[in-house]
Amino acid sequence: MFQPNKELNQEDPFVTPSEAAEEESIGPMQRCVLFNLDREIYGIDVSHIREVLRVGRIRNVPGSDARILGVINVRGVIVTVVDMRRMINVPVSDITDRSRIIIVELDEERPVGLLVDNVLEVRDIPEKRIESVGASQEENSKYIQGIAHYMNQVIILVDVFNLLDEEADEH
Amino acid sequence: MDEEILQDFLVEAQDLLEQLNEQLVDLEQTPDDMDLLNAIFRAFHTIKGGAGFIGIKPLVEVCHRAENAFDKIRNGEMAYTPEVADVILRVYDTIQDIIERLSNGEREFDEHVVDEGLLKELDALVSGEAPAATTDTEALATEASNEDDQGQAGSVTTTTSEEVSLELPPDWDPDEEITDEEFEMLLKMREEKLSQGGEGDENTAEVALELPPDWDPDEEITDEEFEMLLKMRDEKLSDSQEGDDTASATAAKSQQQKSDERSQPASSSQTAATAQAMDEAKSAQQSSTGNKKSGAMDQNQSKKSAGTTAPAGGGQKQESTVRVDTKRLDEIMNLVGELVLVRNRLLTLRNGAEVDIEEISNAVSNLDHVTTDLQTAVMKTRMQPVKKVFGRFPRVVRDLARKLGKEIELELRGEDTDLDKNLVEALADPLVHLVRNAVDHGIELPEERVKAGKPRVGKIILAAEQEGDHILLSITDDGRGMDPEKLKRKAIEKGLIDEMTAAQMSDKEAFELIMAPGFSTAEVVSDISGRGVGMDVVKSMITRLNGSIEIDSVPGEGTQIKIRVPLTLAILPTLMVAFGDDSYSIPLTSVQEIFDFEPEHTNRIDGQVMVQLRERSIPLYFLKDWLAPNMNLSDEEHDKVVIVNVGGQKIGLVVEQVRGQEEVVIKPLGVMLQKLPGYAGATITGNGSIALILDLPGVLQRYKKMQNKGVSHVSAK
Repeated sequence: MFQPNKELNQEDPFVTPSEAAEEESIGPMQRCVLFNLDREIYGIDVSHIREVLRVGRIRNVPGSDARILGVINVRGVIVTVVDMRRMINVPVSDITDRSRIIIVELDEERPVGLLVDNVLEVRDIPEKRIESVGASQEENSKYIQGIAHYMNQVIILVDVFNLLDEEADEH
Repeated sequence: MDEEILQDFLVEAQDLLEQLNEQLVDLEQTPDDMDLLNAIFRAFHTIKGGAGFIGIKPLVEVCHRAENAFDKIRNGEMAYTPEVADVILRVYDTIQDIIERLSNGEREFDEHVVDEGLLKELDALVSGEAPAATTDTEALATEASNEDDQGQAGSVTTTTSEEVSLELPPDWDPDEEITDEEFEMLLKMREEKLSQGGEGDENTAEVALELPPDWDPDEEITDEEFEMLLKMRDEKLSDSQEGDDTASATAAKSQQQKSDERSQPASSSQTAATAQAMDEAKSAQQSSTGNKKSGAMDQNQSKKSAGTTAPAGGGQKQESTVRVDTKRLDEIMNLVGELVLVRNRLLTLRNGAEVDIEEISNAVSNLDHVTTDLQTAVMKTRMQPVKKVFGRFPRVVRDLARKLGKEIELELRGEDTDLDKNLVEALADPLVHLVRNAVDHGIELPEERVKAGKPRVGKIILAAEQEGDHILLSITDDGRGMDPEKLKRKAIEKGLIDEMTAAQMSDKEAFELIMAPGFSTAEVVSDISGRGVGMDVVKSMITRLNGSIEIDSVPGEGTQIKIRVPLTLAILPTLMVAFGDDSYSIPLTSVQEIFDFEPEHTNRIDGQVMVQLRERSIPLYFLKDWLAPNMNLSDEEHDKVVIVNVGGQKIGLVVEQVRGQEEVVIKPLGVMLQKLPGYAGATITGNGSIALILDLPGVLQRYKKMQNKGVSHVSAK
């Protein structure tokens, strides 16, 4: 669904790559960790992220929400791991060698692990490149903070608070 | 309003209120105790001073009147009758209410916060003669009679016949109002002199201290200056080998005088106390050296003194801080240092060319010691005396007894027993309920008691003691006791048990019936015990703390309720069970026995599988249905049955493996899982994997739900 925008960006005749770089070096930036889910690229603001871990043994918790994979031990703290694919309704896939758990912090005391397909890189995205999504968004897309068109890519920026916080309160 | 000063005031006020609570009730027993009267008077005065300082007028007003009342009582012009006590206790409640609201963030109070009727009653108490207001007779009266919160006093005479002359600071201006600090100081000085007078005068030597010549009396004293004074005093003292309280007061005084403008009256008074209490100047000096960097030394000191005299201020619901003796922190720091050393040694060993098994095992056993000590030391920082909970009971019992027309003496034992801070807070509600029960249902009316040949005054003993790794709390009354047969009949009437079960029941089990949901022994629900919180709630609260309740009673002689709770909530002895690789911990306190599952010894009764155990049928719950529905496990032949006691009910949990006993550190489950029923938390086992800790009441609930849905293989009819 984001494809048309992407092409538009590529074909933008008024901004050459060098100009783009220049333009981007000024103005506020948002530093994001980029990761894959299925074929799309997602980003999470780096300030919410504590660390990225390889997938070890995840202990299942019988009776919990289906989106919760279980709990892991992060240096003595029990951290819930949710399947990012299930959270945003992307078809579920197996855990591979490239799968990672991104530990995000809702606040100091509440870390949560997000299982993602793989982690790409940390990138600064100019804020002016981020489009906030319209009010027409459906309820279940609340987790999208905005969409960035940048360096020929479409990056879906995830608002981890909207994604997890309500869930955390519900239970 | 200065937030920092306000917070200091709150801490101090809460400490004072806690003490007052006990003192006020004690006073009713010993109305002539001068020390007690003075202490109470001072407490009101200190709170008043602080309230005036931060500008809460209603609080000043009410404290002021209470002070007046106590002044009269002290002078023997009025007796502390139960009626007076009622009014004073209402004053106490009002103050506590205001303090609580302050600590909850409320900052503005209008006059209605204090009941006008109460003020009038207080005025009526003290009315009649105007309090003496001369400079020479009674400074305290003067102080109290003064409309605004500052008193005027020239010198102070004592309430006893002895006369003590007190000196005011040389720079004192007779036209100026005396500050609270100065007043406090005078009080203190007077007390000291009095006590010294009684004990002979080995301690009377005054040490004269000099301030630097360039010292400006209008300026606040600096930390350095204060320290220098302390040091000077220390030297002089060691010269003459005469320890002297007055000197420390002098030192504190010199600070107080200068800091009065900025410091909060209450904390300063405590500063003086600290200075004396600590092994005189030496330790005071050390502490001030330690505090040198922080600007507000007096505040630090007052905190410290509060910490030693009344360790930590629990009881408050939302309080999330704990005051720790610096010594304990030093100890921890020391142990952490050791830990670093062991780590370094292990690192060296790892990098070494050869593996020296002996060296490594030495290092590891060292590590073992250090971590054990460290664990104990850290746990100690969380410990609080059970006094924090007990402190409120004299008042609870007093009020209730008065209301019900009973005469009750409450005895507290083992108040200094330490237990985990969280436990102290969690135990408060269940204990209040049990004590109320003892007063309401246990102790009879005085006439009834006399008729039964018992002393008029009923007795309730509230005791705490450490019993191995548990704390034993007991509530004993010498009241009417409980009749097991009557309880059984009642339970049958209410449909809680059937005749058969009743017949099999031991007396102890019958007593436990009172903790069954839906059971209340009182014919009429009084507003005292019957507030919708029954014994069943108490029971579940205690169970949640991994504790147990035991009831013993002899009709006509009394009832004893024993509560056992673990010393700390953080470490839990458990039984490890497992399905495949997934392990689960069951709190060991509920585990009663374990045996092999033998299908031939089970029956199906009304869809429920039961196992026969010593001629009783116990329902079996197959945890597999819930915990491992899709797991291919070995057949049931090798399963084990773990008999557990959940809320007085015995049930059997069928598990695949029993791995043995393990002490675990409870960790909360992560986000989105914390309120999941059936789990009390998680823990990390010896091999680094995670085990889930089962919460048995939750498991049961969950299981019943599953049964209703017909998911379980037990009810698959």
